[in-house]
Amino acid sequence: MSEPSIVFDNVSRFYGEVLGVNRVNLSIPPGITSLVGPNGSGKTTLMNLMTGLIRPTRGAIRVLGLPLERPEEVFRRVGYCTQFDTFPKGLTGYEFIYSFLLMHGMVAAEAHKLTLQALDSVSMTEAADRLVAAYSKGMRQRIKLAQAMAHGPSVLVLDEPLNGLDPMARAETITLFQKWGAEGRHVIVSSHVLHEVDRISDQVILLSHGYVVAEGEIQGVRSEVKDQPMQILVRCDKPGMLAARLFERDHVVEAKIHADGKGVLVRTRDADSLYLLLNRIVMESGLEIEAVAPADDDVNSVYQYLIGPEGGAA
Amino acid sequence: MAVYKQSYRGYDGPLTPTWSRFLILPRYAFEEMRRSRFFTIFYLVSMAAPLIFGLTIYVEHNLTVLKMLQPGRNSLIAIDAHYFLNLLGWQSMMAFFLAAFVGPGQISPDLANNALPLYLARPFSRAEYVAGKMSVLLILMSIMTWIPGLLLFGLQGYLEGGGWTGKNLQIASAIFLGAWIWILLISLLALALSAWVKWKPMAGALLFGVFFVAAGFGGAINGILRTHWGQLLNISHLIGRVWVSMFDQPMQRGSGAVFFRVGRYEEIPIWCCWAALLAICGLCLYMLERKIRGAEVVR
Repeated sequence: MSEPSIVFDNVSRFYGEVLGVNRVNLSIPPGITSLVGPNGSGKTTLMNLMTGLIRPTRGAIRVLGLPLERPEEVFRRVGYCTQFDTFPKGLTGYEFIYSFLLMHGMVAAEAHKLTLQALDSVSMTEAADRLVAAYSKGMRQRIKLAQAMAHGPSVLVLDEPLNGLDPMARAETITLFQKWGAEGRHVIVSSHVLHEVDRISDQVILLSHGYVVAEGEIQGVRSEVKDQPMQILVRCDKPGMLAARLFERDHVVEAKIHADGKGVLVRTRDADSLYLLLNRIVMESGLEIEAVAPADDDVNSVYQYLIGPEGGAA
Repeated sequence: MAVYKQSYRGYDGPLTPTWSRFLILPRYAFEEMRRSRFFTIFYLVSMAAPLIFGLTIYVEHNLTVLKMLQPGRNSLIAIDAHYFLNLLGWQSMMAFFLAAFVGPGQISPDLANNALPLYLARPFSRAEYVAGKMSVLLILMSIMTWIPGLLLFGLQGYLEGGGWTGKNLQIASAIFLGAWIWILLISLLALALSAWVKWKPMAGALLFGVFFVAAGFGGAINGILRTHWGQLLNISHLIGRVWVSMFDQPMQRGSGAVFFRVGRYEEIPIWCCWAALLAICGLCLYMLERKIRGAEVVR
């Protein structure tokens, strides 16, 4: 059985003296993986590497167990939707998908069937016979997604796929990604919209200046960031009392009454000790706790901690 | 069930042969060209010369018409190697204008708009991409050059009879090979320049520049240095000289095809012409190899 992951083994890519990515070791499992990082961090280079469009200067890449030296087999399993809004001139939406399926080697009848399926999956059937040049930005984005997935790839590499989509189309597209991810495909997405990345990703890869600064499930990544105290929101009936008790502990850096007065936002260096402490306070003082939830284990917070607000390494 | 416990099975149905896939590219390019009125008119006009040449062959073999046109004469024009060489010259010049019009639009828009990943992130190599784009020019120029040339050769052989075809097979092979050399040369030039400058009008202008300005520059070198080696920069001289040798024509002042005349005493050795043409093709292939990349590196 083939290896189910996309594996980067100590991969570096330099453009002359300019660094693209450096010493990347990754194993990307099926599901939705988001590439997050500021402009120039190496997201597109990583995507071009895994789609075989560029070769690593050093190291090796295997896509589902296949080395990139076997492009015929690799490209059959990979679908790439680039960030560029480019289409061959004079083609309708149908012709755009159909012609590229023929290029994949599909026979005409099969290409026709797959084209209709792809158009249907992105809700573009009605606009199929219109010229792509006459499409709105959102429609062009959807037809690009359709051509990337029409040949039934196991790996979908999507560079900024949510750009230009209106909220309704965004929601539909995200649902589509989740469906593809749930089918066991690799859906690799780069995006700048961090709250959406948070919503859709099974795992994230954070990049900065060509280096992978973190990877994995976002909660796991957050718990590894030891130098930044965890933020935990405790919803309770006596926030003032709770804040006072928490301040007695060394590991609590900050305890702030929530704006609505119904909870405390705690920053702690030791989340486990905090949870034990909460149990004790409940037992001792009869505090009623409604909810306890981490407040900074999202992509946005991890991005701020690891990469910084300006996109430079924190 | 956890996501990673599932595995997706991609398409595993029948596939078309790999060698045929590059032909998808010309299919849509022709569609696009068909919509251009200028192109349609130009293409129709380019067929006027073969029609006239064909009429001449017909008249030459029709005594009634011949006597009506030129009473007292049995022949209007000699249908020989020189005749077909002129047809090739005329049509090759039309093919050059076609390459300048169609060629730059093949690659430059894809490069300028970062569209190459669209083609190359699939089981489709760079060589197939270039072959696909080039086949547009090859097909169009073949219809303009060697196909009418061979049809007229066949017509002449049929009307002349008496083993004319057998005795003149060298003309047929010269039409075919001579046209192909020219077609390949200007196709490669058009694509390479189009890939290099990425701007359609500039690529078209550059093609004219390479053809005419370089010839002028070569002429200036000849004049200043009192040599003939400047002809190495003159593509029409190089191809004209090769054609003359292929058609086995004697070298005399003004010999060769129309637009591609080679003056006696100006010629350079035939092997130098071949070498120069090969060098131009090699340079074009190098330029294409450098520029046709799935992801362009911008430093």
